[in-house]
Amino acid sequence: MNQMTNPNADHHTPMLRVTGLSHRVPLETDTLTILQGVNLEINRGESVAIVGRSGSGKTTLLGLLAGLDTPSEGSVELDGAMISQLSEDKRAELRASRVGFVFQSFQLLPALSALENVMLPLELAGMDNPDRRARELLERVGLGERLNHTPRQLSGGEQQRVAIARAFACEPVVLFADEPTGNLDNRTGQAVSDLLMALNREQGTTLVMVTHDEHLAARCARQLHIEAGQLSEPTAEESVS
Amino acid sequence: MAASQKLHSVGRDWRERDVRVVLAALMIAVATVATIALFASQLQRTLVTSASTFLAADRQLDVENGRPIPHSWLEEAHSRGLRTGQMVEFSTMVFGGDRFQLVSVKAVSDEYPLRGDLEIQTREGGPRETVRSGPPPGEVWINPRLLRLLGLTLGDTLEVGNETLRVSALLLREPDGGFSMSALAPRVMMHKNDVAATGVIQTGSRVEYVYLFAGDTAALESFGAWLKPQLEPSHEWRSVRDGETLSRSLQRAERFLLLGGSLAVLLAAVAVAVASRQYAMSQRDTVALLKTLGLSGPGIARLYLRRLAIWGIVGIVGGLAIAIPLFWILASMLGNLLDRPVELYFDPNAVFPALATAVVSLFAFAYPPIRRLRHVPAMRVLRSQPTGEHKELWRDGVLALVAIFGLVWLYARELDLVVALLGSVVLLLLVLGLVGGVLIAGLRQIRGGGNAWRLALVGLYRHRGASLSQMAVFGMTIMLAATLLLVRTSLLDDWKAQLPEKAPNHFLINIAPDAKDDVAAFWRERGHPLEHLYPMVRGRLTELNGTPVKEAIGNDKNIGALNRELNLTWMDSLPDDNKIVKGEWFTPGTVSGVSVEAELAERLGLKLGDRLTFTVGSETVTEPVTSFRTVQWDSMKPNFYMAFPPGGGLDGLPATWITSFYLPPDQKTDLNAFTRQFPTISVLEIDHIIARIQEIIRQVTLAIETILGMILAAALVVMAAVVSATLRDRQREGALLRTLGGRQSLLVRSTMLEFGVLGGFAGIVGVLAAEAAVYALQYRMFEGSFSWHWSVIVPVPLASALLVSLLGRWQLGPVLSVSPMLLLRRLE
Ligand SMILES: Nc1ncnc2c1ncn2[C@@H]1O[C@H](COP(=O)(O)OP(=O)(O)OP(=O)(O)O)[C@@H](O)[C@H]1O
Ligand SMILES: [Mg+2]
Repeated sequence: MNQMTNPNADHHTPMLRVTGLSHRVPLETDTLTILQGVNLEINRGESVAIVGRSGSGKTTLLGLLAGLDTPSEGSVELDGAMISQLSEDKRAELRASRVGFVFQSFQLLPALSALENVMLPLELAGMDNPDRRARELLERVGLGERLNHTPRQLSGGEQQRVAIARAFACEPVVLFADEPTGNLDNRTGQAVSDLLMALNREQGTTLVMVTHDEHLAARCARQLHIEAGQLSEPTAEESVS
Repeated sequence: MAASQKLHSVGRDWRERDVRVVLAALMIAVATVATIALFASQLQRTLVTSASTFLAADRQLDVENGRPIPHSWLEEAHSRGLRTGQMVEFSTMVFGGDRFQLVSVKAVSDEYPLRGDLEIQTREGGPRETVRSGPPPGEVWINPRLLRLLGLTLGDTLEVGNETLRVSALLLREPDGGFSMSALAPRVMMHKNDVAATGVIQTGSRVEYVYLFAGDTAALESFGAWLKPQLEPSHEWRSVRDGETLSRSLQRAERFLLLGGSLAVLLAAVAVAVASRQYAMSQRDTVALLKTLGLSGPGIARLYLRRLAIWGIVGIVGGLAIAIPLFWILASMLGNLLDRPVELYFDPNAVFPALATAVVSLFAFAYPPIRRLRHVPAMRVLRSQPTGEHKELWRDGVLALVAIFGLVWLYARELDLVVALLGSVVLLLLVLGLVGGVLIAGLRQIRGGGNAWRLALVGLYRHRGASLSQMAVFGMTIMLAATLLLVRTSLLDDWKAQLPEKAPNHFLINIAPDAKDDVAAFWRERGHPLEHLYPMVRGRLTELNGTPVKEAIGNDKNIGALNRELNLTWMDSLPDDNKIVKGEWFTPGTVSGVSVEAELAERLGLKLGDRLTFTVGSETVTEPVTSFRTVQWDSMKPNFYMAFPPGGGLDGLPATWITSFYLPPDQKTDLNAFTRQFPTISVLEIDHIIARIQEIIRQVTLAIETILGMILAAALVVMAAVVSATLRDRQREGALLRTLGGRQSLLVRSTMLEFGVLGGFAGIVGVLAAEAAVYALQYRMFEGSFSWHWSVIVPVPLASALLVSLLGRWQLGPVLSVSPMLLLRRLE
């Protein structure tokens, strides 16, 4: 499974190292700067919460960290690989083997059942018996009874849990989650964050999540603030208050 | 204000992709069906016009009993804008150069010929001249053989009855000379005004009056309709289609056009159906939203009906805006091909099926799914899958078949055709449903991908619903296109076989038995070997089972073959293109029996074993009927109603021989030498007829190829529309697979393989269904025989696999070019 592991990547190199990252998108007349001068290091097994206002660039940053897009400037190194310099196919391989992603808007395929949605990455990886593993995962997020329902038939929170099950499917070494509890009531939200934290604890998965949920942010080892595309990390005292 | 609001909403709709697909499908449907129908009706007219030269007119009214028609009939024709002309045909003895000869006279009016032209020679051995009218009063044009029989030279006089006329030219070819070997007496053509003075026509003489009519089709038809109730049994209203020479070719061409048009209707209906159904499905969320906003069920119905109506109008106008210029282009291409201007004919009736197809399929497919949503609570609409209930799918399916085949019926009004097409479509859907279902269920076993093949198969299973319905539409499209391709191929092959490049184009008639070898040697030396020589005995059918034949079959039947001498022959083997339909051909050594042409036998009501008596000169011959034979009248070879075995009933009777051969146009001067050396042999020149038929076949071929091209283009569009129906889902899936770590190349390969398998499978089933359709059509419509067409069966599925996989690749395009992040943002 980890045939991609970079030999340089031992336990002392950080899981993620971001230097001088900027991201701009062209608009009709000028360009919009979404992120500017972001520097960041995240260690293996760490859990990090990114907080900030709507439109501040959280989703954009997460996408760049996961290699779903390439930055306009700067570099991103993930598990020892300079993903900002890799070809799209190499990045894809890296994502397949080591990255999990929970999207803010779930990104479930409407025509597929919950089970089939979770099976997708497993099939792509060529795993045997993908349905058994997918079933286990769905049971774990409490959807064992809803395997054959399509996203339309599920509630928002249920869809979110399917998305989380899918992100876990290939046992990623790093999981990016964009507001994983955003649509959930307190109790379910609690259950989902328990799930994420357990994964982080038991399997050593590095967690990077965007969240508005202060409670969840507080459970993470580090909190990062993003404002107008610039990242800052409060001191320990600041973040507790 | 209300209008501007509607326009605004159409403008807004246009921004929705599904709406654009519906409108595009509508336009293509209207454009294809209207163009094909318009072109078909134009072609039909052009064909009939170019075939009309065989009648020297568009229509003929033949009168056999020797009484001219009332003058008021001709006045009626003139008042309807028709041109008319007249001919009088009779046999008589002529006197010239101290000799008598029985001739067949054709006296023509100034207007003759209304269509086509004549060829004459004004100097013996001189150049051939093409003229557009007959001889002026006081002159005759005669057959070269007559000139020699009487020992005349051009400029001499000929006595016809009481009138003396000057022989001013040799008549080499007349447009309506046709191909009847019955006119064995040499031809004399004179002016009609001279007939009365000859005094030849007495009451009771056998005279045939022929009236010629030409003009535009509508006027001809209305005049024909006016005329028909007044016709007497001896009158025959003929169009070129009733003739033997061309009828089969024309008929088959017309059938092909009909089939092409029907297939266009079918394809167009499928295109609109797929698009509008897709649209209806995509409207579920909007309907739910409208409901939450408080719009009532009837309000929703009204809203959508109005929208559909507006699109219907936009689609129809757009489609016609494509069809009409396209039709003009095609029609003028036809003109170029014919090297003469084509009278453009815009048949408004031809547009109607296009409109019906568009409107019916739009409403039949888009409306029911939306209508059903009227009563469903909004929340439930949002929470259910857009596939619908099984029962409803069945109902929709049946409605679909009824609607589509209703349209085909409306267009073709030909039960055989509709049944053949419907049968094969249903067969196709059953096979696809069954085999496809089983295959896809089998794919369930394959889980997990890794390589492109496995991913492709997993993909097929994952999209099983869409895969099956796409397969159905692909299969149907391919079936329709392949059906046309197959019919076209066999038609063209048939024609080529029927009229090969060097088909015999000259007949030699009246060859004396002792001249046979010399004639053969004459042409062999010049490099034009003769085809088979047939003996010919002239005889009249007089009795049937001992009773005078007219009495036996009923006096009211007017059968031309009984009024004249028939050509009887003997032969040992059945000609290649004749077919025994009943009874048996003569076994070697048999000397009794007669084989009768099947159609004549049917008209006479003959049975095997009936005894026929023929009078040949002063002798009679009686033989039992031993077989019925079909004859290819349009084969341009000698054909006989009656055939005897060698040494049979005709043995010992005076016979002459007939044969045919191919003479290239630049060697026609050889005919001069021939007629000098063999003055008593008639040369029947049919090279012009053959050239005309070849021209007609060329036109029809062009039409067939054009229509095939249009159908193939329409098929491609339908397939693209079907693929684009799932475009959004596919792109979303592609984008997601990329974020999940699917490599682009893997994605491309597995998608192409998935679609390739789908297209290949649909291709195989489609082409087999096409064979079934052709099998059903061939016998009933095209009278051909059936065989497997490997040259189509093999490449079509391959082409379909390739095409569909390229379509799959095409729809994936946008997913590959941008970063996954951007893609997901776009798709939200
Ligand atoms: N491709 C793009 N084109 C134009 N604007 C973009 C693009 N991508 C992002 N933006 C803009 O950049 C800003 C940051 O977007 P982003 O999605 O990262 O915000 P966010 O912090 O995740 O907000 P939220 O909390 O609402 O999800 C937004 O204003 C967004 O509109
Ligand atoms: Mg966001």
